[in-house]
Amino acid sequence: MSISPETETWIGKSLLRKEDIRHLAGAGMFVADIRMPNMQDVAFVRSPIAHGHLLGIEKPAGREASVFTLVDLGAVRCIDAGPELASFRTTPYPPLAGDRVRFVGQTVAACIAPTRAEAEDIAEQVIVNTDDLPTVVDAVAALQPGTATLYDGWSNNAFIHATIAEGDIASVANAPVQMHRTLKMNRQATVALEARGVLAYWDHRLDELVVYTSTQGPHVMRLGIAQSLGLPEHKLRVIAPDVGGGFGGKNRLMPEEIAIAALALKLGHPVRWIEDRREHLIASVHAREHHYDLTLFAETDGRVLGIKGALHVDAGAYALWPSGPFMESSMAARNLPGPYRIKHLHIDTHTVATNKAPLGPYRGVARPGACFAIERAMDELAHELGMDPSELRRINLVSAADMPYRTAGGLLLDTGDYPTALEAAVEMIDLPAIRERQKTPEPDGRKIGVGFAVYTEQSGHGTVEWTKRKSRVVPGYESATVRMLPDGTVHLMVGILNHGQGLETSLAQIAASELGMHPDNISVRHGDTGSTPYGFGTFASRSIVFSGGAVAKACRQLAIKICRIGAHLMQTDTAETALRDNAVHGPSGSVSLAEIARAANTRPELLPQGTEPGLEVTATYEPPDSGGVFSYGVHAALVAADPKTGIVEILKYAVAEDCGTMINPLIVDGQIIGGVAQGIGTALYEELPYDEAGQPLATTFGDYMMPCATEIPHFEIRHFVTPARNTEYGVKGMGEGGAIAPPATIANALTDAFRDIGAKFLETPMTPRRVSEAVARAHGENG
Amino acid sequence: MKASAFQYVRPENLTEAIELLSGDPDGGAMAISGGQSLLVLMGLRFAMANTLVDISRLPELHRVSESADRVFLGAATTHAMIEDRKVPDPSSGLMPRVASKIAYRSVRNLGTIGGSMALADSAADWPACLIALDADIVIMGAHGERREKAEDFVRGPYETALLPAELVVGIDIPHRRTARWGTNKVARKSGAFADSLAVFVDSSNDGPARLALTGTASHARLLPRTSTYAHENRILDNADLRATILADLEDVDPLADAYRQRCHVATAMRAIAEARL
Amino acid sequence: MTSTSFCLNGREIAQEIDSRQSLADYVRETLNLTGTHLGCEHGACGACTVEVDGTPVRSCLVLAVMCDGKNVETIEGTRTDEAMNIIRRNFREKHALQCGFCTPGMLLTARDIIRRHRAPNDAEIRAELSGQICRCTGYMGIVAAIKSAAVEING
Ligand SMILES: Cc1cc2nc3c(=O)[nH]c(=O)nc-3n(C[C@H](O)[C@H](O)[C@H](O)COP(=O)(O)OP(=O)(O)OC[C@H]3O[C@@H](n4cnc5c(N)ncnc54)[C@H](O)[C@@H]3O)c2cc1C
Ligand code: FES
Ligand code: FES
Repeated sequence: MSISPETETWIGKSLLRKEDIRHLAGAGMFVADIRMPNMQDVAFVRSPIAHGHLLGIEKPAGREASVFTLVDLGAVRCIDAGPELASFRTTPYPPLAGDRVRFVGQTVAACIAPTRAEAEDIAEQVIVNTDDLPTVVDAVAALQPGTATLYDGWSNNAFIHATIAEGDIASVANAPVQMHRTLKMNRQATVALEARGVLAYWDHRLDELVVYTSTQGPHVMRLGIAQSLGLPEHKLRVIAPDVGGGFGGKNRLMPEEIAIAALALKLGHPVRWIEDRREHLIASVHAREHHYDLTLFAETDGRVLGIKGALHVDAGAYALWPSGPFMESSMAARNLPGPYRIKHLHIDTHTVATNKAPLGPYRGVARPGACFAIERAMDELAHELGMDPSELRRINLVSAADMPYRTAGGLLLDTGDYPTALEAAVEMIDLPAIRERQKTPEPDGRKIGVGFAVYTEQSGHGTVEWTKRKSRVVPGYESATVRMLPDGTVHLMVGILNHGQGLETSLAQIAASELGMHPDNISVRHGDTGSTPYGFGTFASRSIVFSGGAVAKACRQLAIKICRIGAHLMQTDTAETALRDNAVHGPSGSVSLAEIARAANTRPELLPQGTEPGLEVTATYEPPDSGGVFSYGVHAALVAADPKTGIVEILKYAVAEDCGTMINPLIVDGQIIGGVAQGIGTALYEELPYDEAGQPLATTFGDYMMPCATEIPHFEIRHFVTPARNTEYGVKGMGEGGAIAPPATIANALTDAFRDIGAKFLETPMTPRRVSEAVARAHGENG
Repeated sequence: MKASAFQYVRPENLTEAIELLSGDPDGGAMAISGGQSLLVLMGLRFAMANTLVDISRLPELHRVSESADRVFLGAATTHAMIEDRKVPDPSSGLMPRVASKIAYRSVRNLGTIGGSMALADSAADWPACLIALDADIVIMGAHGERREKAEDFVRGPYETALLPAELVVGIDIPHRRTARWGTNKVARKSGAFADSLAVFVDSSNDGPARLALTGTASHARLLPRTSTYAHENRILDNADLRATILADLEDVDPLADAYRQRCHVATAMRAIAEARL
Repeated sequence: MTSTSFCLNGREIAQEIDSRQSLADYVRETLNLTGTHLGCEHGACGACTVEVDGTPVRSCLVLAVMCDGKNVETIEGTRTDEAMNIIRRNFREKHALQCGFCTPGMLLTARDIIRRHRAPNDAEIRAELSGQICRCTGYMGIVAAIKSAAVEING
């Protein structure tokens, strides 16, 4: 049998997305859109202070029965979160605060009423009695001896200290060039446009608790919720309906999810909570907040020998289940050498507890910070050496001939041609023309500058890598069930989730290619633990590698059976058959998939001897080498900045990237553009500052700046395709890459714009205020 | 983020509206016009009311008229109507331009010039614009109509000359048919409230030069020295101009830090430069 | 409660409405028209955009009772609108949506932009889209879709 690729493959086609149709009709179904009889809304009472003993909660008179505190929830277990490492101090994170509150916005009580407005009326009357404790808001200062600690019994505020080292940093101690810089990527929110939401009720017919939640991984959430509530997993069904963006922010078990599930168990009617934007900004998953203190060791010709330094990650008050904040610091440290031939690395990492909302993953996890640090440092070094930054990169980049290359961070770069991507970016942005333009002042008084940054994006990493990270849940595989129905159409059930990535389309393309059918005849089902095989969800750019692989594998197994039945119906040998165009073809004639499916499902007497009825296969898949594959790219930006007001405009933005084989180039471009836009948010706009008392200062979009079409430029993208060796079709994950490089790229461009005066851009976001202050400082003026 | 409960009433005319507002001596009755600020504040529960008096349809606040030397815009005139020039423009294009930079189109479709003045957010656009245009705010209360100069009307952050149960009925603006103007805004992103906004109306045969600034720690202000300097000097010396602006800033925004000052100086100079282009 | 009547998607509604209910909450919670999405509830994201008397407004910042006597159209009311269907097709072809949460508000805004500008260029479209947040797409597809739909609709 064969599947003829020339006529049948859907791989590489920019198929229009299936999921668009319902969303364009306004008919998507998000958690907040689900209606249940007798449903009640919850509003949470949240901690008004950053740190204190919780002395008591006064329920409003007459409304006692509508207010629930931790003790009212019944038996809820605080499950351990964070890496399975003895050196990691895990912290119980109760769904509602017990005897202590540790950040402004922490859930303290749940108020329940027929509408959210009425629930808020009750919440407003609840009195929270606290006794203030000293607040810790600076991750570096938090480790100073004598600083108050968030947890009794901790000797300092670190969740964990760990050193990431490779080579021998002492051996470069006498390097002729040594450059020291401190850099900071500030805290931000993840801001899916649909905030979080949970709806839970007991289904009496199925005798199970149903929890609808806006999550990226329903199977994993079931595990966490079941453990928290002490429910057996067969009595718990978690459903992610349409999810309006995730970006990492919906991939942790959060207190509200447990509280709502517990309330539904207790109350016997549907209960829901819809996160509002203020709650999102103060108490949802926060991201980034890295402080770097780095020294680069180099030769005078620009070859970088080693990196030494410290990284503090401000992890907030609690570790979020499952993996806590540890990965942030280890991944950042391991990504610091980038794709450069740097041999020696020594980074002391500190993951620090502070009185802020807990830190979690956000598109690019750790790497936007690491990329900002190393790519900024490379530019600084270039300036110190009087070289063009792109030249310094050329000297240090790993070449195609070096592949596979193990970096000093221990990452095995598999395939690719990084220098070619750099040349492409230089050409796309037209570096010589910019250098020419810079010779005359801009008529409007602004300064223009060009910046580059190189990034890598590990994806498709499985058991080996996650075990190395001591992950509590090891997302080492994905599963897929393919089921052909009696008329020859297909249901494809997968354990990942589609929340904007177009997986209902691209997975259908894969199945269609393997089964010789049209994607329109394939429905992809996901997001429901009650109807999909086990899986870990969509994050870490893993879905196309893992789920795509599982779909391909399941479909191939099914194809064998289809051909066997087809051969039997045509009275020919299976070896003589080919699967294409919705039919199995033999030497003379063909038999349609519908006929085969009918036989297999409803007419067992037509099947060959010994063939079991039904057309269904479940397969699991992990790439043969689970260390991961690496997408990569180079971003280039031309910016104009106003030296007085500090307003920055991106005039041109180019991306040269390689993510291996593209299943659907339209979707790939969409992921890149969306990612870069988010990276621009990190670079220039988005920030969650806190004051010294631990009060969050950005609590609405009036303070938290979200980039709109006026802030985001047009992008030019050039693809290189170096297929991965180890994955189906040679795909590599690419969901996050776009978000990694923009902060570094834009900061480098700003540095270039003000190179004549030496203004320093070492902190994100580069708001008008920060830019203006950097320029003023370089002029020796008052910042 | 839901407002606390209130009663809603929609009076037929201005007199009735003022009666309703006066009827609640504790200030528990509040007017709602476009709702584009008030409903935000109520949703956050930063503002509460027992009764919302809907003034958005009062015919008196929709009156628009034009005479030889003045234009009257009812308080209910929306930012979008001004942007789209659906109402007479006394400012040869300045007001439409300012309107077009306020918030976002669908907010401008409902937000009103009267509501904006009455709220007096320290970063709002209209107060500076109307001060520069030397407009009068026409006010109605139980004791009849009165007027305030725009620069006297705004008095502090969210503070105006309005007495309890008074309403802004409209804005009365002198024609500046021949005046050139310029305006410049610094905000963290498009549509956001200004860190600094300068509006300059140059001298012409229908009036003197006036420069007003918003984004101060308090409220929109006229920069008197700078206005006079610009009025008296056709050719401007940048260093003198800068020094004059800084002297004004000592009065109008004494708390401004170095960044704010840089922004104010920049927007003021650019607004003047645009007018003199 | 305030007795209110208005026309919604061509249908007359007459009801006692809780005065504090926003138009968004009213259409979503009472009428079950959930295509109107809430992304911020403070006027800054545009996900809740609907039309009142032919102009787009943010339904989180409109009281339902203030719509008395008016004509309200939500995304559900546009399903047979010819121009909107052209815009929808262009959104799909230009990959102007990912998670789809911003999409209803974007579509209503897009139709208004095309009505007012006839043949808008990129800069005009971007300026008009200010305040409409899309977290997923990076806006490029949205701008392209509006531009091409405008050409199709206005010739
Ligand atoms: C996302 C967003 C961004 C914004 N950005 C800007 C911006 O950049 N610049 C800017 O200037 N504005 C901005 N605004 C505010 C907007 O311009 C409002 O429309 C305006 O400030 C208030 O007008 P309104 O008619 O909506 O008033 P309402 O919200 O109805 O009322 C505001 C206040 O004024 C009172 N009031 C209203 N009308 C009268 C009257 N006639 N007499 C007496 N009191 C009255 C009300 O009682 C209330 O206290 C923004 C709003 C939003 C939602
Ligand atoms: S929900 Fe109305 S503007 Fe965001
Ligand atoms: S498509 Fe997700 S917010 Fe726009």
